[in-house]
Amino acid sequence: MDATAAALIGMGLAALGFAGSGVGLGILFGKAIEAIARQPAAEAQLAKYIWIGMAFVEAVALYGLVVAFIIMGKA
Amino acid sequence: MIATAYAATGEQAAAGSGMPQFEPSVFQHQIFWSIASFVILLYLLRKHVLPAIEKVLDTRSNKISSDLDAALKSRQEAEKASVDTQKVLVAARRQAEQTVEEARLEAARYREMAKESLGQELSKKKSLALAEIETAKRAALAELHETVVDIAILATEKLIAKNMTKADTNKMVQEAITAVQEHKGQVH
Amino acid sequence: MSSTATSAISATAPKMDPLHHFQVAKHLDLSFMGLDISTSNSVYWMWIAIALVMLFFHLAFKNPRTVPGRMQSLGEVGYLFIHGIVTDIVGEKGRPFFPYIFTLFFFILFCNLAGLIPGSFTVTSQLIVTATFSLTIVGFTFGYGFYRHGSHYFKFFVPSGVPVPLMPLMIPIEIISFLARPISLAVRLFANMTAGHTMLAVMFGYVITLPWWGAWVPFGFTVIFTGVEIFIGFIQAYIFTILTCVYINDAMHMH
Repeated sequence: MDATAAALIGMGLAALGFAGSGVGLGILFGKAIEAIARQPAAEAQLAKYIWIGMAFVEAVALYGLVVAFIIMGKA
Repeated sequence: MIATAYAATGEQAAAGSGMPQFEPSVFQHQIFWSIASFVILLYLLRKHVLPAIEKVLDTRSNKISSDLDAALKSRQEAEKASVDTQKVLVAARRQAEQTVEEARLEAARYREMAKESLGQELSKKKSLALAEIETAKRAALAELHETVVDIAILATEKLIAKNMTKADTNKMVQEAITAVQEHKGQVH
Repeated sequence: MSSTATSAISATAPKMDPLHHFQVAKHLDLSFMGLDISTSNSVYWMWIAIALVMLFFHLAFKNPRTVPGRMQSLGEVGYLFIHGIVTDIVGEKGRPFFPYIFTLFFFILFCNLAGLIPGSFTVTSQLIVTATFSLTIVGFTFGYGFYRHGSHYFKFFVPSGVPVPLMPLMIPIEIISFLARPISLAVRLFANMTAGHTMLAVMFGYVITLPWWGAWVPFGFTVIFTGVEIFIGFIQAYIFTILTCVYINDAMHMH
């Protein structure tokens, strides 16, 4: 196999990490909506944690992206 | 961004593949300048911006607290004024009640006095009237007495003057009585 | 690699390089005592961000009034926002750190936002810049913890309430998680900015390469995504600030 081709496959695999982030976002917002539905008064307080949590979860996906870019540099 | 996305040059291709961020030759000056920029911005913000913001916020909080104090004070004043008014009202009502009470007492006294004086007047008038009646009665009795004496004298005269029969005497007494009666009728 | 990728999209289209706008181009080659202090587009955009911060606060507070206007309200909201973060997380003792955190937030925020101007350069998409900040912050908190607690500070790496047999396992984990702090802090910001801007660049590439009747789809996406990027720029500056406060609080109160 060509090294470039292997690198491209590796980059694609690194993008798989996004799936975990997607699941995380789904759980995060699902739970958040559940919590707000249960306790609408706490929405403002929860929103803060939702956005912080979203940034953390999203960052995980972006680590995968960084890995992909690093592989791109090695190819 | 469209332009930059397309501005791939031969030079870039020569610089190699991969992310430009991982190119070590651009690290050092960016480290230096990011720290320098941070320090410059920190200096500028500390020197010019933060004091200005804090001044504005302090001014506002001072104003708000002084306004609140003033509001509290004026409320207390208003409460005091209201208490004073209440006091004045109560005093006025009490005074009014007192006045009414006094007036009632006065009126009662006047009525008592009036009743008393009326009674005195009446009894005085009554006694006056009784006295008058008494006087009149006395006068009438005196007159009667006089008349009777007159009759007696008249009858005696007639009896003495004429020696008359019994019948004549009767006739004469009768005449005298009639005369007295006429006289009396004139009196009454 | 980029040539491979673009040839797959369209052989006739102009060469697409979505990473080109992250390229740092040195402008003036300067050096000071062996230190490379050249200027580059990255450095210029740092200065522009500083100028924008100062312009923003100048507009907000050029004639401060007790009853604020729109710009002044915005400036005050910025101040109170950071003040709230610091007092919420660090407490009243965090007061001395407030100017630093304030500066950090606004520098990162305006770097993020200025990077969205078409043709601009995103300073925070440079890993070395975010790493400089995160390493400085974590190094500072470590030094501050030592200064404050002395050798007692090593207890920070010993989790409480863990059975002694587990200690050989837990202490390395704590140390690694501490060492991961600057990396995660730096990579989070850098990766968010890079990913967003790369995505925008790729989409703009499609706007050019697709025929006119198909081009509006990626174009509409870029319009929406630019809005999302503004939001992300704000959120990332917020996260960076919050984590800085959390680390300072850890150093101050040891958990």
